[in-house]
Amino acid sequence: MFDESLLSRLLDRALQRGGEYADVFCERRRTVSYRLQDGRIHDASYGVTLGVGVRVVVGESAGFASSDDLSTDALMEAADSASLIARTAPSGKVGAAQLRLENVPKLYDCDLLTAIDGARYAALLERADVAARRYDPRIVAVNAQVVDEIQEVWIATSEGRIVRDCRPLVTLGIQTVATDKSERSSGYVGDGGRTSIAYFDRQTPEMLAEDAARIATVNLSAAPAPAGEMEMIVGAGGGGVLLHEAVGHGLESDFNRRGTSLYSGRVGEGVASELVTIYDDGNLHEERGSINVDDEGVPGQHKVLVENGVLRGYMQDTLNARLMGTHSTGSGRRQSFRYAPQPRMCNTYMPNGDSTVEEILASTKRGIYAKSFAGGQVEIAKGDFVFMVGEGYLVENGKITAPVRNATIVGNGPDAMRKVVAVGNDSRLARGHYTCGKGGQSVPVGVGMPTVKISSITVGGTQHE
Amino acid sequence: MNDASAIELASAALKLASAAGAESAEASVSIARRFHAEARDNAISKLEASTGKGLFMRVFRGGRKATLTTSDFSLEGMDEAIRRAVAQADQVAVDEFAGLPDVVATDDVDLALFDSRIADRDGADKLDDAIKLERLIREADARVVNSSGSNYTDAIAVSAIANTSGFSAVYKWTRAGRSTGPVAIDGGVKRIAHYGTAGRYLGDLEAPAAVATTAVRRAVDLFGARKPPTMRVPVIFERDVAATFLDDVFSAISAANVAVDNSWLTERTGRRIGSELVTIVDDGRLVGKLGSSPFDGEGVPTQRTAVFERGTLRTFLYDTYYARKLGAVSTGNSTGGGIGPNNFYLEPGAMSLAELIASTPLGVLVLDTIGFATEHASGTYSRGARGFFIENGEVAYPIDEFTVAGQYVDMLANIDGIANDLQFDAGVVSPSFRVSELMVSGN
Repeated sequence: MFDESLLSRLLDRALQRGGEYADVFCERRRTVSYRLQDGRIHDASYGVTLGVGVRVVVGESAGFASSDDLSTDALMEAADSASLIARTAPSGKVGAAQLRLENVPKLYDCDLLTAIDGARYAALLERADVAARRYDPRIVAVNAQVVDEIQEVWIATSEGRIVRDCRPLVTLGIQTVATDKSERSSGYVGDGGRTSIAYFDRQTPEMLAEDAARIATVNLSAAPAPAGEMEMIVGAGGGGVLLHEAVGHGLESDFNRRGTSLYSGRVGEGVASELVTIYDDGNLHEERGSINVDDEGVPGQHKVLVENGVLRGYMQDTLNARLMGTHSTGSGRRQSFRYAPQPRMCNTYMPNGDSTVEEILASTKRGIYAKSFAGGQVEIAKGDFVFMVGEGYLVENGKITAPVRNATIVGNGPDAMRKVVAVGNDSRLARGHYTCGKGGQSVPVGVGMPTVKISSITVGGTQHE
Repeated sequence: MNDASAIELASAALKLASAAGAESAEASVSIARRFHAEARDNAISKLEASTGKGLFMRVFRGGRKATLTTSDFSLEGMDEAIRRAVAQADQVAVDEFAGLPDVVATDDVDLALFDSRIADRDGADKLDDAIKLERLIREADARVVNSSGSNYTDAIAVSAIANTSGFSAVYKWTRAGRSTGPVAIDGGVKRIAHYGTAGRYLGDLEAPAAVATTAVRRAVDLFGARKPPTMRVPVIFERDVAATFLDDVFSAISAANVAVDNSWLTERTGRRIGSELVTIVDDGRLVGKLGSSPFDGEGVPTQRTAVFERGTLRTFLYDTYYARKLGAVSTGNSTGGGIGPNNFYLEPGAMSLAELIASTPLGVLVLDTIGFATEHASGTYSRGARGFFIENGEVAYPIDEFTVAGQYVDMLANIDGIANDLQFDAGVVSPSFRVSELMVSGN
């Protein structure tokens, strides 16, 4: 679709005023989605994202321009526009190297040819609706959506690399609302990955819908969350949101190169309990956060972020790696051709420890068991985070006693990581439906976690004893 | 970029939709030139300038609807996307409420949404704007040693809409903003704060010095922060945080959420929910404001809608579809694909924020929250927060790593003081306000 000679000319044009590096990111994406509401297919939509982004890097500065007009004139104008950065920053001129097509790893299959079978998507949603309502008569509403996307990218860099990737991504999200006289609550479950909708032959809409209905009904009978400091057990899988927020963002190289992260300059230092090891991996088969190559054309990698409590390294994109005297870790990602890349996470998870879930529960006198999180956010300078518990329980004297609803956990990343006192042997990735937002850009990510115990955390509920 | 080209693209899309078998259709086209300069230290660290186009369509056939978005404006590309969307409608259930709106904007109102000063602004001036702000934050306090960047952004755009009933309309708009993220260090603790200003007119923006001062104070005033005790106290939400609360109220007011039982305000119209002080308005017709436009995402004229009047919930906010479904009339809140706010705000009170603080013997002032609502059914508010502890009507000491939690309905009912500091620097805005009692969780 984008020929090599045009990409090569664009790179030369981008570097016309100087600069150390340039890249051209071409994207064609099609997104098919169907949505169910009131037991019927309510909406169908088709989307196309097609365009080119051109970037020029000069020292610590970057110029960027995009165009959805693919005419040569418009693309050259975008290259001109991006090149303007070289007038405002000191520059050392480098011409673009001869482009060489590189093979990319193959972590997922990408099928561009199969026709869109609308009935198949509709059937998934209708099965979810039936299953959720059958689960419990108190389920009064089911909203479900299936999204099937294929993103093709062509990336050329002034270092001479040209790569192509084709990335599928399917997601099925099911939200249920339960009511019981005066109470009202909802449950959400999403799943998917870099694969086709055949994925839901194995992870069936019934399984997911029943789980979403279960969470809504559990929350219906849940007591308001307690308020104050207590022990916390983080559930396997979805608990990985904790790693993503409390540690992951702080290890992205832009914040560290600029010195705005609390982890800046601390590689080699202890930043967590010795029980804590954290990986970020772009190479997991068909996972939502996996990438054959990142959006700068660098293969996805397995990165050790924290090992036995010691900070081992950051997640690097090309620009920040160059300035920090190291290599990209394949972490340069962007929402679409309209955006310049940023260092981002892929699939962030903690491997197994050696405690059993039973031991962790038994050791807990009074705490909250957060089985899953509904979202979270972090402030990277000081490391303060919050996350919202999706499904939570009170633990008293070693036993799960009652569900609690609407708990918000607030804490500080390094502080929480130092308070990890047990790591379970049941590590797994959460179902694939997480999207990470940073600097106005959203990208799909994965998270994972074994059951973990944190000795003390602040729970922001409404019940004060 | 001009009005005619946007209308032409929309008209071309409608012709293709008819040819593809759509019985009726609507096409919205936006063309925007966007600029972003980020400065760090004394240099421009990021420079982005692009013109982008987008087409959003709704196509109808046999009582079924499908939607389409594309950035591919080639004739073949548009044709293929439209054919696929029309074909996808076959899977959608027949819905008697789906269709083009009954009323469209014909009043040709001029809301003064375009500032030619932004359109004509010299590139070098824009870069200087960012660099000046970056210099000012460093001059404001010696502890500001770094920043996540100081920004100037603007956009010059045209938005057009046309439908197969013969309606077409277009308007031009501008927007500019400046924002900064100073990083301060004191005693080994690093603090970052963000503050920004935005408007349709360059002249509406807070001056760089004011933006710098507020941003820096938000970082340095919090040094020495500790966790507050866990207790029930009055909580004052400073206006930016108050605006995020209004965002949540909007979600509950949106007829799209009400219709699917995903709102804590379902079946509560006509009831007294908030305190006497609570009047919340959605107004798309405020001259020169960010949330204003002459018509909404399906061409329905915007209007002023009182959502809460002296505490009583008067109405939800509707697009055409949900209005028909719930037996109401569109309030001009369609975004095309859903329901969105125009200028959605809480009416300000008479006293200043300082007076509001002074009238609070013991309480918490929240400057900033993190976290967001993930569940609208139960109506529970819960956020991580930072700010100040108030003792004897005075700001006593900074606090952080705590949460503020309660039920939205109780919060609205317990609003017992509203400040006069409303600013229309976004679509959803609020003055600072105080809730007489909320759960604060710290130590």
